[in-house]
Amino acid sequence: MTVTEQLNSGSMYLICGGIIFVIAVICVIFMIRAWKAGIALGMDKTRMRRAVTSSATFSVLPSVGILLGVLALSGSLGTPWPWLRLSVIGALHYETQVADAAAEQLGVRLGADAMTLPAFSTIALLMSVCIMWGMILSFFFNKRYSARLRRTPKEGKADRGFGDRAMTAMFIGMVSAYVGSYIGAFVSGNGRFTFSGDFTPLIVVAVAALAMAVFTYFSERKGKAWLDNFSIAGSMLIGMLSAVLIG
Amino acid sequence: MERDTYYQQYLRRTHLLGRAVSALCLILLVGAPFLIGLLLGAMPDLGAVARGFVSVGLVWTVSSVVEFLVYTPMLGSGGSYLAFITGNLINMKIPCAMNAKELVGAKSGTAENEVISTLSIATSSLVTILVLALGVMLLIPLQPVLQSPALQPAFANVVPALFGAMAYKYFRKDPKLAAIPLCVMAVLFILAPSLTASTSFMIIPSGAIAILLSYLAFRKGQKEG
Repeated sequence: MTVTEQLNSGSMYLICGGIIFVIAVICVIFMIRAWKAGIALGMDKTRMRRAVTSSATFSVLPSVGILLGVLALSGSLGTPWPWLRLSVIGALHYETQVADAAAEQLGVRLGADAMTLPAFSTIALLMSVCIMWGMILSFFFNKRYSARLRRTPKEGKADRGFGDRAMTAMFIGMVSAYVGSYIGAFVSGNGRFTFSGDFTPLIVVAVAALAMAVFTYFSERKGKAWLDNFSIAGSMLIGMLSAVLIG
Repeated sequence: MERDTYYQQYLRRTHLLGRAVSALCLILLVGAPFLIGLLLGAMPDLGAVARGFVSVGLVWTVSSVVEFLVYTPMLGSGGSYLAFITGNLINMKIPCAMNAKELVGAKSGTAENEVISTLSIATSSLVTILVLALGVMLLIPLQPVLQSPALQPAFANVVPALFGAMAYKYFRKDPKLAAIPLCVMAVLFILAPSLTASTSFMIIPSGAIAILLSYLAFRKGQKEG
């Protein structure tokens, strides 16, 4: 049995699939609890259903993007392990980077050199150890931190009602950082002020934003409120199509 | 009062459940490489893991602390336990939860936001699990389509497409507020293009600028009103 065959064996699928199944069950439990809590708290079922529908449509395209990450890593790590890592806990931009760095420590180049079994198990452990801190922090501090956050608006007079604005502002900051990075990559990607870097992400941002504007127009001005559930996914699809057209 | 009591009890149980499942997932995810090592007859080299952790893991540890501090207020208690277990925060869970919250008009820090955020992240995680499971099952027939050169630019630009759509949605709420962090970030990335490799860290100064400006506008509004 070759290393690749061993990494793609039935037992590997069983271990990784089993863990994914456990986490899927956890998601279902959280979902049912939240739904029941929403009803008990007097929330409108239609609004909760809307949150579920929009989140489902929203997640399809990024998930297909993540599937490509599985494909990219499956050549060197087999399919089951990247499937586990990217289905749960992992992040698309993180996994490849850490797998590469871990391989480097072992003197192996992903995709170029043949994978060995000790190298694989070491890379797999390092990938787990590097990204587990969010869960550890949640375990120890989520309760205390969340309680503190809930207390703040009541105690600080000046801060009353600012929490929601702060979250929106934080999100604006996050989007600004990404859009700013695309501008920087185009203007100075191949040397400062050469304007010869990759412009595709910038075009994609502009097209997706324009598509979102059209969706918003129909939703807000033409009474097509149902479009809201699909507007992000639709705008993303149109933006991604523009990348194909640019080539 | 009864509603408040119920909500407090719900939160207490959420923390209990959240801690239990976080511990379980930690054991499963760290234990899996050892189990696989046992199965394949090749245990992980702990020395190499330690060296690798020093070279790349420390950066991700700092990043995890920042993510925890920034995203927990956005996601609420249940949502953040789930999000830190299921991953893909920046490229999916955060925008997904923000979008759901926006659609139903839930306010941060409220019981409604807690419920909506948990529903949104659980749904999003289940969709990813389903898409990936289907993708892995259909890997052979799907491979030529997903890896066709014509479609590569589309999949390479999922994140710009996501942030483009979200940019319109959020920037139009307060264009003046958005203009300053956007300009500052663009100038920074133009002058120091190497920063593009650390975009996720640049969220911190960018977010801090936006929050500061928003706070100043809020205080001004309070004084005038």
